[in-house]
Amino acid sequence: MEYLHKFTGQIRTRLFAIIILDNFIFLADWFLTDKVMHLNGYMLLAAIVVVPVLTLTLLPWLSTRYLAQPTKLIAEAILHIAPDAPNPVPAPNPNSAHFGKELVANLVHDVYQLATIADQATKAKAADSELQANFIIGNLPLPLLLLDAKQTIVYANEAAAKYLNLLPADMTGKEVYAIMDMSFPSEQTFDTWLSDVREHNATATNAWERVRLNPTDTRPRQLFDLAAYYNKDNSNNIETILVLFDHTKAYSQDDQAISFIALSVHELRTPLTLLRGYIEAFEDEFAGKLSPEMNDFMFKMSATAQQLTAFVNNILNVARVDDDQLVLELHEEQWGEVVRSAANNLALRAKVRGITLEYSIAPNLPTVGVDRVSIMEVINNLVDNAIKYSGKATRIRIAAALNSEGLVETTVQDFGVGIPANIIPNLFTKFYRDHHNRAQIGGTGLGLYLSRAIITAHGGNIWVKSKVGEGSIFGFTLQPYAKLADEVKNSDNKEIVRGAHGWIKNHSLYRR
Amino acid sequence: MPDDQTASTRSASVLCIEDEHFISELYARALTKAGYTVTVELDGQKGLELAQTDQFDIILLDLMIPTMTGIEVLKQLRDADATPHLHSKIIITTNLEQRDEVRADIEKQADGYLVKAEITPRELVEFLSHLDA
Repeated sequence: MEYLHKFTGQIRTRLFAIIILDNFIFLADWFLTDKVMHLNGYMLLAAIVVVPVLTLTLLPWLSTRYLAQPTKLIAEAILHIAPDAPNPVPAPNPNSAHFGKELVANLVHDVYQLATIADQATKAKAADSELQANFIIGNLPLPLLLLDAKQTIVYANEAAAKYLNLLPADMTGKEVYAIMDMSFPSEQTFDTWLSDVREHNATATNAWERVRLNPTDTRPRQLFDLAAYYNKDNSNNIETILVLFDHTKAYSQDDQAISFIALSVHELRTPLTLLRGYIEAFEDEFAGKLSPEMNDFMFKMSATAQQLTAFVNNILNVARVDDDQLVLELHEEQWGEVVRSAANNLALRAKVRGITLEYSIAPNLPTVGVDRVSIMEVINNLVDNAIKYSGKATRIRIAAALNSEGLVETTVQDFGVGIPANIIPNLFTKFYRDHHNRAQIGGTGLGLYLSRAIITAHGGNIWVKSKVGEGSIFGFTLQPYAKLADEVKNSDNKEIVRGAHGWIKNHSLYRR
Repeated sequence: MPDDQTASTRSASVLCIEDEHFISELYARALTKAGYTVTVELDGQKGLELAQTDQFDIILLDLMIPTMTGIEVLKQLRDADATPHLHSKIIITTNLEQRDEVRADIEKQADGYLVKAEITPRELVEFLSHLDA
């Protein structure tokens, strides 16, 4: 359009120039004839005076006759072909104009010709810039994906195809989740963000760090930062643009650190087991024979050894989660019994801190399908956290009941310091701990990360509600065994009954 | 049934092939207290020879042992040519994570599997009490 305006201006200038020149040529012609040349000075003076006067008086007439009408005609012609004319103007007919027919006809012809050229130029320019954009996007070293409103991939560039180890043709038309199995480090995932902005925004951008791409094949896991741009009314059916910034190398250093720690911590397991074994032997030998104080010491020794064991197990399990080596063996269990048994191990630790564990386990809960060792670690972590963050509170409430969705929901509630709202979204992130409490409260920051991984692997959800000064409730859901039963088809293991810390191959049920 | 008799009186015999002295000491103590007769052997080769005499009801077999790995001992004991008619139950005791193929071998050939770091002597006794004699 800009182009068209410019050339309308040019034509107008041309038109004026032609008309004025035409007039002067006519006058000059008259003056310069032999007849005029023979006039005397008075006549010449008169002519010089008369011409401007004549010109001045004639100008309105001239302008109407030679300027206004043809210009109007040309303006109409331009408006007619203008792409954004407010109301299409009927095509002008230069031949019906009374004056300067040829001139106007020529000019209108010019307009059409120029417009045609301009149109072609614009098209060529557009095609050119499209080509250029394709070239830039195509050769952009960053993986880039364009998604439509159904999160289907409309376009993926070369870098994206390479990063995901697919062919671009295999990607377009597929749902993005089918191609990219992403794990986000916090509660806000791409999906939750998208459904949120769809409701509230016309455009939005967001970025995530440490997004994990879980490989569908044997390739190593990739870690990247993800940037997303959302535009509700984007043209070409594109709703969201995703750009990936690979940081696999940098981010996996943390994972390597975990692997190294896990390797070292592994060596702690045997001495720890021995320590616990000997403490146990002591307890056997001296049961009832010790003074209350010595009994208390024994008690604390045992609780501490247990805590260290839990810590070691956490580290090792995080390494397993990060390595995709966390193998769950789901079995039918009486949930109330599992909860009590897990919490009993912690009663000791709670007691040392002067905290009582209260239970509220609904009767007639359906059996659940769980991996006993892992799920006990979750309860262990949640209760352990509750103990750590209880402050001066003296009780922790552990409850289990069937929720409205028919899932078994378990909650661990403390009445301690609580968690500030702004850090809640990061709570289940690896290494995340409340920075204010870091100095006072020990821990690896791995417990909740691990718990979430384990609960997710069980097909459940983990959540938290908290208020500073009032305490926190951590909860998680588990599926009843009946719901899981269809999914658990492990025919190879039918003869093997797995217990908490091992298995026995026979038919006597090993359940504790 | 005589089998039930054996199990209930806990007079069964256990061979503990384990090179970690503290572990074998704790296990032996707990098992003896529970009524088992316990023999401890810390060497793989010697452990295999002892096991082949078939005088034990239960064999606790560590995987990381000198002269011969626990997996080799297990294979020899389950090989009908090398060890015919072995009646002992073999329980693997380890702290190692197993590679899948080894894990499959163990699941096929052993009667039980224990992670030492996750079980105390008291729990070992309880675990063994669930074994069919």
